[in-house]
Amino acid sequence: MCGIVGYVGVDGGADALEVLLNGLSTLEYRGYDSAGVALANASLSVHKSEGELSELRSTLPEESLRGERTGIGHTRWSTHGPPSDANAHPHTDAEGRVAVVHNGIVENYQELRDELTDAGVSFDSETDTEVVPHLIASHLETGDDPERAFRRAIDRLEGSYAIAAVVAGGDEIFAARNESPLVVGVGDDGHYLASDVPAFIDHTDRVIYVDDGEFVRLSATGRRITDADGEVVEKPVETVDWDAEDTGKSGYDHYMLKEIHEQPTALRQCLRGRVDELAGEITLEDLDGLEHDGPIQFVACGTSYHAAVHAATICRERGMRANAYVASEYAADRIPVDGETLVVGVTQSGETADTLRALREAKRSGARTLAVTNTVGSSVTRVCDDTLYIRAGPEIGVAATKTFASQQIALTLLAGQLNGGLSYDAIEALRSVPDQVQTVLDTSDAKAVAEELVGSDAFLFIGRGLAYPVALEGALKFKEITYEHAEGFAAGELKHGPLALVTDETPVFAVVTGDGETARKTISNIKEVEARDAPVVVVTDGRSEAERYADYVLEIPATDDVGAAVVANVQLQLVSYWVANLMGRSIDKPRNLAKSVTVE
Amino acid sequence: MSVRSAIVLAAGEGKRLRPLTRHRPKPMLPAGTKPILEHVFDELVAAGIEELTVVVGYGRSAVQSHFGPSYRDVPIEYVVQEHQLGSGHALAVAASTVEERTLVVNGDQLVDRKIVGDVISTHETDPDAVATLGVIGHDDLAEYGGAIVDADGTVSEIVENPTDDRTYRLNAGVYALEAEAVEAMTGVEPTAGEFSLIDGLEALVDERTVRAAASEGIWIDATYPWDLLEVAETLFETGTVTGSVASSARVHGTATVVEPAVVGPDCVINAGAVVGPNVCLGQNVTVGSNATVRRSVVDADSRIGANATAIDCVTGRGVRIGPGSAVVGGPGDVRVDSTVHRDERLGALIADRTRDEGGVTYAPGTIVGAEATINAGATVRGSVDSETEVR
Repeated sequence: MCGIVGYVGVDGGADALEVLLNGLSTLEYRGYDSAGVALANASLSVHKSEGELSELRSTLPEESLRGERTGIGHTRWSTHGPPSDANAHPHTDAEGRVAVVHNGIVENYQELRDELTDAGVSFDSETDTEVVPHLIASHLETGDDPERAFRRAIDRLEGSYAIAAVVAGGDEIFAARNESPLVVGVGDDGHYLASDVPAFIDHTDRVIYVDDGEFVRLSATGRRITDADGEVVEKPVETVDWDAEDTGKSGYDHYMLKEIHEQPTALRQCLRGRVDELAGEITLEDLDGLEHDGPIQFVACGTSYHAAVHAATICRERGMRANAYVASEYAADRIPVDGETLVVGVTQSGETADTLRALREAKRSGARTLAVTNTVGSSVTRVCDDTLYIRAGPEIGVAATKTFASQQIALTLLAGQLNGGLSYDAIEALRSVPDQVQTVLDTSDAKAVAEELVGSDAFLFIGRGLAYPVALEGALKFKEITYEHAEGFAAGELKHGPLALVTDETPVFAVVTGDGETARKTISNIKEVEARDAPVVVVTDGRSEAERYADYVLEIPATDDVGAAVVANVQLQLVSYWVANLMGRSIDKPRNLAKSVTVE
Repeated sequence: MSVRSAIVLAAGEGKRLRPLTRHRPKPMLPAGTKPILEHVFDELVAAGIEELTVVVGYGRSAVQSHFGPSYRDVPIEYVVQEHQLGSGHALAVAASTVEERTLVVNGDQLVDRKIVGDVISTHETDPDAVATLGVIGHDDLAEYGGAIVDADGTVSEIVENPTDDRTYRLNAGVYALEAEAVEAMTGVEPTAGEFSLIDGLEALVDERTVRAAASEGIWIDATYPWDLLEVAETLFETGTVTGSVASSARVHGTATVVEPAVVGPDCVINAGAVVGPNVCLGQNVTVGSNATVRRSVVDADSRIGANATAIDCVTGRGVRIGPGSAVVGGPGDVRVDSTVHRDERLGALIADRTRDEGGVTYAPGTIVGAEATINAGATVRGSVDSETEVR
């Protein structure tokens, strides 16, 4: 998703261009299609281009830009208008006095654009953002000082935004936030600004989280944060624990493969101190004995939604009234919510706009809200009443892997906490999951299966019960990074339509664990596709006879349903990775996708 | 100019450590509760090394995932040796990263900071030396590399597995090398498809000044898997590792931990169990009620059942010793292929994810491969292959 970075340094401080370019490169993983920078002194120097950051670098007259102390930069992920040089940020007014970068969506931009056009302003781009510099310029013309002009422009905007602006002749940055992340970095050599901490973590680990409705004015040595009424807000300076080195690939070819291999460690962190096999108890320190017997609604998007389906299934098995909803549909669906309802938002980044919107709506209806996230200090933690951290550590690959496994486990613990705890057997099984994931990493045949099946027409994934969200996630991962057609189905649904897709060129991945009725029924569904000559890959613990109907077997250790769901998914992650790798895809930065989706 | 960087060789499997090396190389086997390689890194960092280059190959994801991109704030660069063609080839693979003098260290043997420091300081005081190698006094060199050191401290000869009765010092596998020495050592032709660092060193000794840094530091090697027991004991004796119970571990009020013992993170010790002395439990190990564990190295995620006994026992990861099973302790004869090692102090060696169902008796010196299953009530002796079932 779009990234913002800004720097205003003291004399003898860092080189602004260097700070901006390095910052943007650390935000690359979020996905983008164009990039740009604006450096400010008496006049503004604005440079931007479509494509990778290296494109921007190659067009920069770097020498003439050296030694500047103030600037803003941006990586853009298109929402209004295609990727192009003109649509890239920063955007400027006609005279080039004001440069603006923006994340989010200005919902009333057409109205503002019409108004400005009527006043004789001409637009260079198709973006919603461009109204902002023109608005600021129009207020400057009426004699406002830059801060006042900025505030008056922002006041006109509806929608979600993190915005930063610089004005020619000044050495300050003005910024504002509404429903889109923005962080100030407090350094010894000046102030930093970014949409995400990694952008400046090399320079400082002291940060101020800006909240919705707040305005920021930064100079090299001063900062002022004010609320909508212009009153100064005293904000705590927090120290973040984020090792810049954590973002290296540690000898792996891709972040995704590194993160797949980090899963045992991530799961240990998720479980640490939370399960006690001696006492047969679980303790979620963040939730302090929270129990709940009313309805539970899980809201989430993408991979997190699949974790939410997992969670709702477990809750229902335990007799709770629980459902999972796609966050963007949640509001449209008019789901009944009241004070008895617990709404759980699952979001890795904690910044997912759709999920945040759903949680805000639920809160307005009086529901209790709970965030399940990986990101300390993220927006969702401030929106919700309570937060449960999944503790997976930074995830850079756009396709979520370790955070899904950690969500599965954290949500299983949550389900236990909400009613009656977990059994000794369940706790023992949870403690075995990290080693079982390691077993799969040590022994998986996924690469060989990928080599056999790459080039097929389409890839289908089926599962039942807790294996159903695994099938959905297996298919999502597959399409995200291979760009091939892949679909996940409830195994029993296959015969109600999707079976028409099945040929000898459509491999079917079936997740079959345990030896109960669920497994037996899925085996019947496997026979349905086997009879139509589809290559069958079963992911199984070998406790049922599923292997008899399989062309390929991806083995997992025998364990309970929850453990099996985590471990089976790892096999499917590896299949996706190896197929994408064989196809030469951009695995860590798939086309059109962004790591955290901060627009609705 | 001081020595700031180190190349650590960690690409080889260490075949003599089978079956513990099924999924990871020897440097990742536990010395106490930490991998051998982690001890090596600790000592290098303590000696002031600021950049680590690690040559990885066999089981490399075990190394990469354990350490990640840095260790104690020292950045790690991983260099992949695709085919394990010897330590000299490993150095050649890493050589492109060498721009100035560097340390080269074996990642599969324990060395302490004293040896590392002695090598660095000796090298820095002799401008003529293109290479300095750490040497120690040692009783038995037949398994290792020897160096003949002249009275003035220069190395005159390098001999692998010496058997004659000249006075040798043991080559501790710690080298300070000038860039030109790296170049000379990696330019040697391979012998019999393998290319040892020692071949390069021999050539260097013939032509240039190679200095020996005599050290009193600690050097430990595990030649065979059961040596891990002795390694742990030595670490306790020398104070390199001290007894501790991790804060995230849970020990029942009626269980006893007898010093010295290390109880790793997330471990659970149930009621009435006795753990120690000389026991190392890796992370997330579970010891059942009334079980006894003595002089054993139990690797991560293993479970020792209720009422089980484990004495002189080495386990891999995720091993299940069932309820009431007994590893009664050494000494016993250990059979590896066609060789018999007499009277080794080994109760049993049980490799990764082997599971016994309970009531199993292990004769002293038993070796069980990985992912085997031993049915309830069986008696095992000798050596059991990986992935087999014992009834």
